[in-house]
Amino acid sequence: MAGKEFNAFEMAQAQFDKVANILNLDEGTRELLRNPLREYHFSIPITMDDGTKKVYKGFRVQHNDSRGPAKGGIRFHPQETVDTVKALATWMTWKCAVVDIPLGGGKGGVICDPHNLSMREQEQICRGWVRQMAKNVGPINDVPAPDVMTNGQHMLWMLDEYETISGGKNPGFITGKPVGMGGSLGRTEATGYGVIYTVREALKDMNIKIEDTTASVQGFGNVSQYAIQLFSQLGGKVICVSSWDQNDQTSYSFKKLEGVNLDELRKITDKFGGIDKAKAKEAGYEVLDGGAWIEQEVNILIPAALENQINSKTVLKIKDSVKIIAEGANGPTTPEADKVIFEKGIWVIPDFLANAGGVTCSYFEQVQCNMNYFWEKDEVLGKLDLKMTSAYSAVSELARKKKLYMRDAAYLIAIQRVAQACKDRGWV
Amino acid sequence: MTEHGSKQLSAIVHDLEERAKELKCLYKIENILNNQDAKFEETLQSVVNFIPPGWQYPHLCQVKLILRDNVFITEGWTESKFSMFRNIEIRGKKIGEIYVSYIQNPSQHSEDIFLLEEGNLLKTIADRIAHFILHNDLQHIFKEFKSIKRKEKSDAAGDWKVVLDMIRKTDPTLFMSILRKLLHQLCLRGNDEASVLLSQSSIEVKIGEDRLPGEDNRPLRKKVINNYDEYINAILRLSYENLSDDELLMKIQKWIQEDKSIPLVRILESRESTLAEISDAIRKYYHLAPEKYELSPSMIKGLRVSLLRRFFTEDLNYIRVAKDFVKLTDFYKLIDKMIYTPTSQGKLGGKSSGVFVAANILEKQADVSEILKNIKIPKTWFVASDCVLAFMRYNNLEEVLEQKYKEVEELRLEYPLLVQMFKNSPFPPEIEKGLSVALDDFGNSPLVVRSSSLLEDQAGASFSGKYKSLFLANQGTKKERLAALQDAIAEVYASTFAPDPIEYRAERGLLDYHEEMGVMIQEVVGNRIGKYYFPTYAGVMFSNNEFRWSPRIKREDGLIRLVAGLGTRAVDRVGDDYPILIAPGQPNLRVNVSYEEIVKYSLKKLDVINIESNEFETVLLQDLIAQYGEQCPGIYDMISIVDGEHIRPANIMDDLATSNTIVTFNGLLSNTRFIKKSAEIIKTLQTSLKTPVDIEFASDGRDFYILQCRPQSYTREHTADIIPRDIPSDRVLFSANKHISNGKVPEITHVVYVDPTKYSELPDKDSMLKVGKAIGKLNKLLPRRKFILIGPGRWGSRGDIKLGVSVTYSDINNTAMLIEVARKKGSYVPDLSFGTHFFQDLVESSIRYLPLYPDDEGIIFNERFFQLSKNLLGDLLPQYKKLIPVIRVIDVPAVTNGKILRILVNAEIDEAVAVLKDHGGELESQAAKSPGFSAYSSEDWKWRNNMAEKLSNGLDLDKYGVKGIYIFGSTLNASAGPGSDIDLIIHVDDKSWKKNELAEWLEGWSLALSEMNYLRTGYKTEGLLDIHYINDQDIENKNSYALRINSVTDRAKALKIKGGSK
Repeated sequence: MAGKEFNAFEMAQAQFDKVANILNLDEGTRELLRNPLREYHFSIPITMDDGTKKVYKGFRVQHNDSRGPAKGGIRFHPQETVDTVKALATWMTWKCAVVDIPLGGGKGGVICDPHNLSMREQEQICRGWVRQMAKNVGPINDVPAPDVMTNGQHMLWMLDEYETISGGKNPGFITGKPVGMGGSLGRTEATGYGVIYTVREALKDMNIKIEDTTASVQGFGNVSQYAIQLFSQLGGKVICVSSWDQNDQTSYSFKKLEGVNLDELRKITDKFGGIDKAKAKEAGYEVLDGGAWIEQEVNILIPAALENQINSKTVLKIKDSVKIIAEGANGPTTPEADKVIFEKGIWVIPDFLANAGGVTCSYFEQVQCNMNYFWEKDEVLGKLDLKMTSAYSAVSELARKKKLYMRDAAYLIAIQRVAQACKDRGWV
Repeated sequence: MTEHGSKQLSAIVHDLEERAKELKCLYKIENILNNQDAKFEETLQSVVNFIPPGWQYPHLCQVKLILRDNVFITEGWTESKFSMFRNIEIRGKKIGEIYVSYIQNPSQHSEDIFLLEEGNLLKTIADRIAHFILHNDLQHIFKEFKSIKRKEKSDAAGDWKVVLDMIRKTDPTLFMSILRKLLHQLCLRGNDEASVLLSQSSIEVKIGEDRLPGEDNRPLRKKVINNYDEYINAILRLSYENLSDDELLMKIQKWIQEDKSIPLVRILESRESTLAEISDAIRKYYHLAPEKYELSPSMIKGLRVSLLRRFFTEDLNYIRVAKDFVKLTDFYKLIDKMIYTPTSQGKLGGKSSGVFVAANILEKQADVSEILKNIKIPKTWFVASDCVLAFMRYNNLEEVLEQKYKEVEELRLEYPLLVQMFKNSPFPPEIEKGLSVALDDFGNSPLVVRSSSLLEDQAGASFSGKYKSLFLANQGTKKERLAALQDAIAEVYASTFAPDPIEYRAERGLLDYHEEMGVMIQEVVGNRIGKYYFPTYAGVMFSNNEFRWSPRIKREDGLIRLVAGLGTRAVDRVGDDYPILIAPGQPNLRVNVSYEEIVKYSLKKLDVINIESNEFETVLLQDLIAQYGEQCPGIYDMISIVDGEHIRPANIMDDLATSNTIVTFNGLLSNTRFIKKSAEIIKTLQTSLKTPVDIEFASDGRDFYILQCRPQSYTREHTADIIPRDIPSDRVLFSANKHISNGKVPEITHVVYVDPTKYSELPDKDSMLKVGKAIGKLNKLLPRRKFILIGPGRWGSRGDIKLGVSVTYSDINNTAMLIEVARKKGSYVPDLSFGTHFFQDLVESSIRYLPLYPDDEGIIFNERFFQLSKNLLGDLLPQYKKLIPVIRVIDVPAVTNGKILRILVNAEIDEAVAVLKDHGGELESQAAKSPGFSAYSSEDWKWRNNMAEKLSNGLDLDKYGVKGIYIFGSTLNASAGPGSDIDLIIHVDDKSWKKNELAEWLEGWSLALSEMNYLRTGYKTEGLLDIHYINDQDIENKNSYALRINSVTDRAKALKIKGGSK
């Protein structure tokens, strides 16, 4: 065979090895962190609506819980493989560590396609999953959350099954629940706001007043909208935003030099973040090609849409005025582009730091559930600000001191924290 | 108004008043005669007294009725010469006379003392009296008989003889008819003597001479009854011997009843009878014989069949089904809602037939299935099909009838004019009168005027959407409403001669069929909310599901396309919106599962009637719900609230104006019996009609209405292809026999094949992502809807991309068919996605989906063809050269000597096959016969090519700074369809290029060509030219379109230019 099949877990291990070398980790720690602590494979038998029986394959991987209960989503996907789940669990460990929340990394899933399942059948799968895992998960062991093709409804079914088995109310068992059913306020804002908290800190470090800055944002979804909201509130000006047009099946950039007006744009936006071209023109926006967001004369770029948007080609279009790239989306920058950005001296706030507001809020949800006391939104966002700010400071300080690329610095901190915890516990 | 005008008007008013008087008179008489309690003499005297008010000069009018020995007169009757009379006859035998006269000459003009209508009226009254007498006689006979019977119980034999004797005296025809039936009855019991009697006309004929009828070819000798009394006595004797007294009495009584239906039968059987006569006969029959249930089953069936044939269709299949479900009462109700001219012999048309029989089936089945109770049909009036002829005759438009034989181009040119001509023509007074009555019945509810032509919904031709259906707000004064209604009907009439349906008929060999256009005027189901009028929900349901999104859904699980507002959005593909899809057999397997999918594929718009502006409009649901949501009945069954990423049912606690609402119909599906009811309706109609059905429905939030019902297989896009059994296997590229859905696939010129093995061997994720990107590029380069994509596992897989190429909908939106290949991996075959990721996009843009299982037994999968045919990828996308082993782009005609690929699908037998066939080869003839193929396809590219050459010949190169023109795309590769554009590359000289002037010149051409194309084909486009400019620089750099000039596939061809040396 010419090449090996793409394997996400091997990629995660390679990434870890690179950092482990820099940190000069000992063999035992490497061996421990290269692999999950625990891996569960089990069968979930279901009675289908038509009375037939079917057995689904379920997983849970707990990569590392040295810093606290494992945390990570449960995916329903027909082509789920345990390698993908292992890779994602590993990344969860680093993500929780970089924002310094006391949680480990986990991930789980069921090989199934919800498109071929009724709601009742999906409920049975959720409950079946919990029945198989109840002994090994829970608020103090492993806390699941929604992921691909699962949502708040699935979480509530799982919680209900867990509470039935454990014989008590344990809302802290799972996160991603609807508000009022153990969910936390501020969840919608968390990721977008988190991005801007880090941007604000970066500007402080550079001694630039946020009021004097401009930004261009890719995407107009949830993350992007709240990032624009907070950035504008803080005095900054977003002059360009791109959005996907459902009808034309392409994206457009919307530009307004005096600054885009979020409320105005929201009124002409459909539910998927598609901005109405014609109405935008009427409102005085210049409608440009979808790629135009990146070539704007701004100080800050916020890619908050898809993967691989800043690549070897587009990276060349970035103007010299750009000082910061804050990665709202997951993996928006390719490794080739990273090199160019590093050379240009642009300050990157890497994805798993910049968009960690989401997981931080999940942590808050769990905390609130465990004490059965729920905060007002202000309190949630205030605590989020604190968490993001200190996480950012730690990474940027390291990068500055050791002259590291921000992405590398973030990985170093995360892995170092986890390695230290394992050591302190006397595991390695 | 001129004096002449006012005279005319007063004449009309006078006429109308007279007609009203007549009707009133008839109505009164009817009432009197129907009063069973009144005495015979009193009744007739009252009838006489009520006649004068019906005449033109009541104060001078007198009446005399002579009946057998009785005479009834109006007070002070005197003989007068100003008189008219009619005979009163029972079965052709005169039993009396009725006279109407004036005491003195009421008018100066002596010849027209009596109106023509008055003559007719008197005839009607005379007939009515005759019936009354007959009925009375019979009553009398029975009474007499009963009293005899009571007196002499022992002598039973005499009883029925007495009855028959009386009948013999009063009504010989009836008597003979009863005798005949008695004889039949005896034969049925196997009485030999009776059999002889039946075959001979007289019992005297010797048995020896007998021969069985039909043994040789000579016509049977007609037997003359020569000994009448003997014959009768023989029958009577036999009856006495073989049948019990009670039985005989019962039978005789029944036969007397049946006899009353004879006038109706006679009218129905006569080819000349008009709808007016039929209606009249039904009405009379209904009054005469309210006890009609006593008719024999065969008689009832016969009547039903005749009525169905006269009102609806001669189609035997239809009649066979319908006759078991319709009742005579239904026709009685129907005639009051029909509009026709006095001489009309038309029918009500296809759409009316469908809904009429469906309604009756459901009503009948409701007795056994509780869930079918209370299914309604909107109030409907029918205009008979030949009224269109009357309308045309009235306006001297008959020459339009020959329109259908004209060339389509000519038709298209003339059609707009024709529509105006029809719209500006007045309706004949009798139709106008009918419409006016209909409008009074409807009040000012919004209406839909639907075509219901004779050809519509017939076997093999649905005419789906070919003829017009128009919505009317029906607001304003009566005069305005009538004008709007007439306008709409005229437009529907004109659509009979529209180019599209005529072309459609020509394609199916139906051009010579005598097409007439019936019209259904239907109340629109719905509620007025704010300034809008619309149903809460509406949609279509099908017996067969041709868009299965999960292998768990079977074809017979059916399909419902559900929308908010008028059903127009569910009937047509809307492209920019997504009706809710449900398989009633598997209601819990939904198309869209994740939060993102549910939100993305929710309904966004609805069609409504704007009462204020009298317009049909499309409005945004979000706006409507925010503004009027709470006033809309059933709103909480329709919408859900998006709360973060949680979708929950809405209820009264939600503020609809501010909440984030989406239309999911979750409440309707889970809290009501909608699904169960729909499934039952489909099942019931399918079973009864013995064919899969296609039903339109709507609900106002309270009641459920059926709007239309027709066989599903006639729906154009759902017809199954005929798969020839004798295709040589070397011409088959692949075959399939699982999860096949019907749907037309256009002719294929290019195949894009992603090799499953090579794909899985790619070294990393990035290379796999690149495959998706390359597909996206190919999607833009290859001719739209002329290529298919074949790939491993799931197209558009969003998770692990190992088992499927990662694409989004926009990367595949030009393909004709998306094919997923499931190869066995060890012992298991991976699940296919059935296109679920962008399933609804596929449905709305008519992209077909097919799963292939090459490792199954009996399946052909010509892997060699895909692997060994010349691969164009390197030439098309040099930047993806590395992927040549993985992605194979095959130009089918180029590698097969000009053959093209046809994919035939047939869900009935669950088979599909992809066949290489010659352009215009043997499969072509069959393709041309099956519906859905434009008769002009081969002409389209020629015409375009021709026009492109003309354009380039007329272009002044120096003036505009042009160096050359190239043509490429569908026009060049002869695959242009009627809606294709003409792709041109214009090579300009940067220095002398007059950008704006050239663009203007080309725009002129583009618009002109578009108009010409519209006249040729009926396809409307905003300009026909697709121009791409390139300069020397581009050619040097091989940029975008410059690449085409020397491209390997789809190479652009240089067009001849004026004085062209280049």
